[in-house]
This record gives sequence, C-alpha cells and structure tokens, in this order.
Amino acid sequence: MYQYTEFDRLFVHQRAAQFRDQLERHLRGQLPDDDFRALRLQNGWYIQRHAPMLRIAVPYGELDSAKLRALGRIAREYDRGYGHFTTRQNLQFNWIPLERSADVMDALAAVDMHGIQTSGNCIRNTTSDCFAGVAADEEVDPRPYCEVLRQWSTLHPEFAFLPRKFKIAVTGAKEDRAAIAWHDIGLHVLRNERGEVGFKVLVGGGMGRTPVIATVIREFLPWQQILVFIEAIVRVYNKHGRRDNMYKARIKILVKAEGQRFVDDVNGEFEHILRDDIDGTAHLIPQAELERVAASFVTPAGVTPRPAGEAPWQPAADAPGGFRRWLERNTHAHKVPGYRAVTLSLKRAGQAPGDITDEQFEAAADLADRYSFGEARVSHDQNLVLPWVHETDLFGLWSAARDASFATPNIGLLTDMIACPGGDFCALANARSIPVAAEITERFADIDELYDIGDIDLHISGCINSCGHHHSGHIGILGVDKDGKEWYQVSLGGSDGSALATTAVPGKVIGPSFAADEVADVLEAVIETYRGQRIANERFIDTVKRVGLDPFKVAANATRRSTAQPA
Amino acid sequence: MKFIDSRTKPRDPWHAIEGDDGPMVTLTPAPHSLLTLLQWHGVRSNWPAGMPVGVLLPNDVEVSEIAADLPRLALIALQFPKWVDGRAYSQARLLRSRYRYAGEVRAIGEVLVDMLPLLKRTGFDAVVMRADQSRDAAERALGFFPGHYQGDTQDHLPLFAKPPGTAEKLAREAADDFVNAGAAI
Repeated sequence: MYQYTEFDRLFVHQRAAQFRDQLERHLRGQLPDDDFRALRLQNGWYIQRHAPMLRIAVPYGELDSAKLRALGRIAREYDRGYGHFTTRQNLQFNWIPLERSADVMDALAAVDMHGIQTSGNCIRNTTSDCFAGVAADEEVDPRPYCEVLRQWSTLHPEFAFLPRKFKIAVTGAKEDRAAIAWHDIGLHVLRNERGEVGFKVLVGGGMGRTPVIATVIREFLPWQQILVFIEAIVRVYNKHGRRDNMYKARIKILVKAEGQRFVDDVNGEFEHILRDDIDGTAHLIPQAELERVAASFVTPAGVTPRPAGEAPWQPAADAPGGFRRWLERNTHAHKVPGYRAVTLSLKRAGQAPGDITDEQFEAAADLADRYSFGEARVSHDQNLVLPWVHETDLFGLWSAARDASFATPNIGLLTDMIACPGGDFCALANARSIPVAAEITERFADIDELYDIGDIDLHISGCINSCGHHHSGHIGILGVDKDGKEWYQVSLGGSDGSALATTAVPGKVIGPSFAADEVADVLEAVIETYRGQRIANERFIDTVKRVGLDPFKVAANATRRSTAQPA
Repeated sequence: MKFIDSRTKPRDPWHAIEGDDGPMVTLTPAPHSLLTLLQWHGVRSNWPAGMPVGVLLPNDVEVSEIAADLPRLALIALQFPKWVDGRAYSQARLLRSRYRYAGEVRAIGEVLVDMLPLLKRTGFDAVVMRADQSRDAAERALGFFPGHYQGDTQDHLPLFAKPPGTAEKLAREAADDFVNAGAAI
C-alpha cells in the first residue's frame, strides 16, 4: 500500500492540529455550532443520534495490520468497542464524545490515517475495486491513480465548498466492483488499442431521491490529463450547480438539465486551463510522479508464483464441506498463480452488516500478518479482504477465520447484504436497517437454502440518502417515515453495474410501502416466486428481467397484513 | 493578507456608492468608488483614466464578462453571501490564473476565520471578516500547513512538479518548528 512520505505524515498531523484549534474555539464558545459544522464535517465528524459519529477515510479501501490494530485500539479506548465499515470503504465510530475528538485525530495521524473530506460538500474519499492490484480480470492497477487523485483533492482550496458532496470511484478491471456509474465521477482506467493507458470518464451518477446513471463524457482520456479534466468538471459544477435546493444540488441534476451544454462547458474549460492559465499544464501528471507513487503498489517480496506446469492446488479429498463452500464463495481469482484473494465476511448472525469489534480488528490484523503480508482491504460490500493468500494456506486461514466469525461462506449471497446503520444510529434515517437485516439473516440462516437461491445483491437503506444503495440492489429495501412510523419500500431489478447484471440501473418499486413486520415475509415471497419461476440455473436478476415485476408484486402483496387493503 | 476591520477601516479608501442602482448618469466619478456591476456598466465609458475604481462582482457572474475591463479595475470585491457558498473561490482563481488580474481581490460577506487558507490560496489578498471574527485566530489559521499537494495562485506548481527534494525540505523545516513548539510527532 501507499507509503507515506515525511511530508504526507506531517500533513495529517497538521490537519489534526488545525482541527484541535477549531474544536477548542468551539468548546470555548468562540466558534458557534453553525460555523463549526462544516469544519467538523470535513474532518469526518457528524452529530448523530447518540453521540458524534466519526467517519475515517480508508483511501480506496487499503488497510494494513498496523492500521487495523490502531482502529481496534480506538474502538476500545474511545468508543464502545466496535466500528462499522461503509459502502464507500470508510470506517465509522458511533460513540466518541466530541471533547475527545481531537485526541482521536492525533491517534489516527500516528498511523497515517485521518478523516479528511469524509463528509461535507467537497471531494470525498476516492473509492476503488477491493481487488485492485490482485484481480485476475484487471487491466490496469487503479491504485497509483487513486493515490494521485487523493493527494490532488486533499484540501483543494477552490473545491472545499461545492454545491453538494462529490464522490469519485475508480476501477481498472473488467468487472466493475466499485459501482462507478453510480458516482459523481466514475473512472475506468484501461488500455486503448495502442496499449496506452487512459481513462473512460463518466459523470453525473448518483442515488438519493433521483437515481441517475452516469453518462460517458470521455471514452479515452490520456492518464496524464486526468487531474486537469477533473478540475474542469468540478469547476463547471462549482459555478453552475444548484445551491437553492439541496435535493437538486448534486452534479447529476446539472448534467441532466444541461445535457450537451454541460459537456461543451467541461471541454471548453479543460482547453482553457491548458491553453490560458498560468502554469495550466503544471497538473499534467509526470511519468516520474506516477512511478514514485506506483512504487508503493508492488507485489510484496515473498510472493512466489506457482511454477508453470505445476498442478494447481486442490483441497484434500476429505476436506470438510464447509471449507469447500468457503473456497467457492469467499475466495477469488488472483493475478498471481498459486494465490487467492480472500473475503472475511462481516455478514453474520448477531452483528450488524459491516460491523466489527475491537477484538475482530485485532484478529483481522493477525490474519493479515500471518496470511497476507500484512495487507487488507475494505470492500464496497462492507467486508474485509485479504489480498495475498497462498493456496496452501487456505485451510489454515479458514480455520482461523472461523474462530473470529469471519468465515460465513455467504459472499455474494442473500445474507451478504449491504446495509447502512439506519435509524439505530443515524440522525438522518427515517427507519431502522439493522433489525430488518437481522431478521432476514435469521430467516435465511440455512446455508443450503442460501446456496440454492444463489447470487443476489440485497441492499438496505434507512432513508432516501441511499447510503445502503437500495437503488442498485437486485432487491432494494428503503426505509421511509409516514406519521412517525417506519415503513419499507421494496424495489427489484436494480444493479450496481457488475457483470452479474451488466448495466447499472435503478430498481423499480413493487408497490406501496410495507410495515416493518411484513418485510421479511415479503422477501421470502419474492425469493419463493423466483424459485418457482426460474429456468434451470437462471439467477435471480435474470428471472426478474425475464418475467417482469408482476408475479413478484402478486406474491409480495399476498403477504400484507397491517398494510392490506380491505377488499 | 490585508485585514479590513473596525481598526483599519478608517484607512481603507474604498467606499460603495449608496442608493439604488438607478440612472447611472447621476454617478459622479470619484477615486476609490466601489461600484456594483450595473453602476460600473453605466459609467465605464466615461470613467477617467487613472482614477481608481473597484467593482463588486456577484458570485453568479462569470469573470469572463468583465475580462476586458480588468486592467482598469484596481479592486474586485467577491462575495460570500453564506460562508459555505464556494463560488467566489473559483472566480478569484480565474481572475488571477487565467486573466492575470493584478489588482486587489477582496472577500466580503460572511467571511470567517477558517476560510483564510482557502482565500489566500485562491488569490484573495484582502478580507473583510464578519464582525465577530478574531484576527489572531485568522492569522493562526494561515499557518498550519507546511505546503500543499495542488498548485494554487500563490504557488502554481503542485508538489509533484517542484524540484526534487522540495517535499522533504518542507517537511523537515516544519517538523523542526513543530517540535520546537513543544509538540511531538
């Protein structure tokens, strides 16, 4: 992973010092709530239901064992012993008193971590493929570009107060594991027919009230120009994005409203920068800088590919069924022969999706050290990944992961759901997510049944802000509030854009909201309908596409009790 | 950075022309008039050469609209109707980097201490802070970072385009200051 320079290290320490100065002024009464809000947000501090919430950046999902241990220590010493990984590869704590916030920022800086721009109307933490650098289907490793982007966007003076938040995701693989079409800017780094590296640039995707899939603004932009092109996009947005209505303030609305004029504006601005500005070409990325950064993202010393001609590793003939299942679901193709990437599932009964305790932080750090050269990743699906596991270590890792409850063999299955913290923690939420997730996990505890249901993306958001990405779920559940009670809208057929469903698309709502105690029944009815309708090995999303929503609506409506209309 | 506050205000020559934006023929040119865009449009053809004049530019106006007049303007005041409305940062940046504007760029409106680093880096060289703001805190806000990753109007080159060893040098110098101030990294 990226190795901080002395400058990088000093920079995050100074950011912590700056935050302490702001906090102290606030606590002395010299910085009123209204003025402090935007400052604390840009350091990751929200004021939530129970206490402030801290969102810590995990740039493009990369962690190491030292960082995992530090997070465990913070969970233990400052929080109530657990944290929560988000779909944007960040980590959240929920119980840290504001008075201790500056101490936590110092503790983070000590391990090269921070909360810079994890909230607020600025360029947020850049996300990426959790298998970046190890995926078998990867064309270009996106991480060096992510890091250059991270540095460029960090404390950018012109773009700290945009109309609304601004999220960038990058992938370099055939399979999109970063949901780039759902981002304000989505980047696909690839090679053209001449073998040159560049970016396919998408702009204007987003969830929320108005789900929009991003449009392609450049099919191929030479990599050297990416910072300048993004500067052009963000400047046009800063000038013209709506500020009169926060629900219409994201760039997706501007892109939709302006259409070709937006594209022309961006292209015009891009040319202006390069042609007219003082040192306008200074932000073209030099080869030397890319190489300097890329030097941090190399195959760890000690990784030895399986010699050509040698037979691939096979599990022992008498290997337990549970281990085989885990191999099938929780381990992933690797670019280096003889290695696998392994997902440590954070979706298990008794813990909220994406949650991790201080002891589990320690356990994950130990596993990373023992089996993955100290490296770990956070996935968009809120799990942890060990990127460098040798085949012959898989059985040992499986056994150890089971002890830390990381080995539920459910990756990509129904219970590997995405869920936001919801109304139990979040001040914005209309409804709770965690009890719904828990009930579904309990209802579908039978592993054989889960395997029979097969690949499926279930996404749960506690409100329209869509942190649980309900729009992109094959099944989406959205919490809504009516008359102070919790209700849930169910949608089907959404996609994040991965190969499973080929194009990113928002799901369609299957009818009026359901009561909280009906949701698990609805889900069961939807799943049963699929099992009844599917042909051979057809996957859920394909059945939904083929038969349409009607059979699902009928089945879902039949489960209504409190929301049933009198005949 | 020039701070215009109750103490320094008496020495600041600039004054807005009160009254509505009515018929511009009645506006008599006087040195250091700070005009609205409409007022300026009314008098620009008759404004005496060499008489200092400034313009208040609303934050939804493109800087390119007054590009031709820039050499005649000694001051441009950019506005922050709310401090979290960041449009004027882009205006300032373009004034300096694209149009090479060399006059004063002044921040007015809801200007707070913690905006100072952004203002300075995007090309502002004068501020009228909100009345309750502390000059000391503002000076402190300008001093936290040893350098930055991106280029800006003060220093056009991003860190990666600077001579080799620059980042190390900045870090070393700042770390010395930091430790000398009694802190530890």
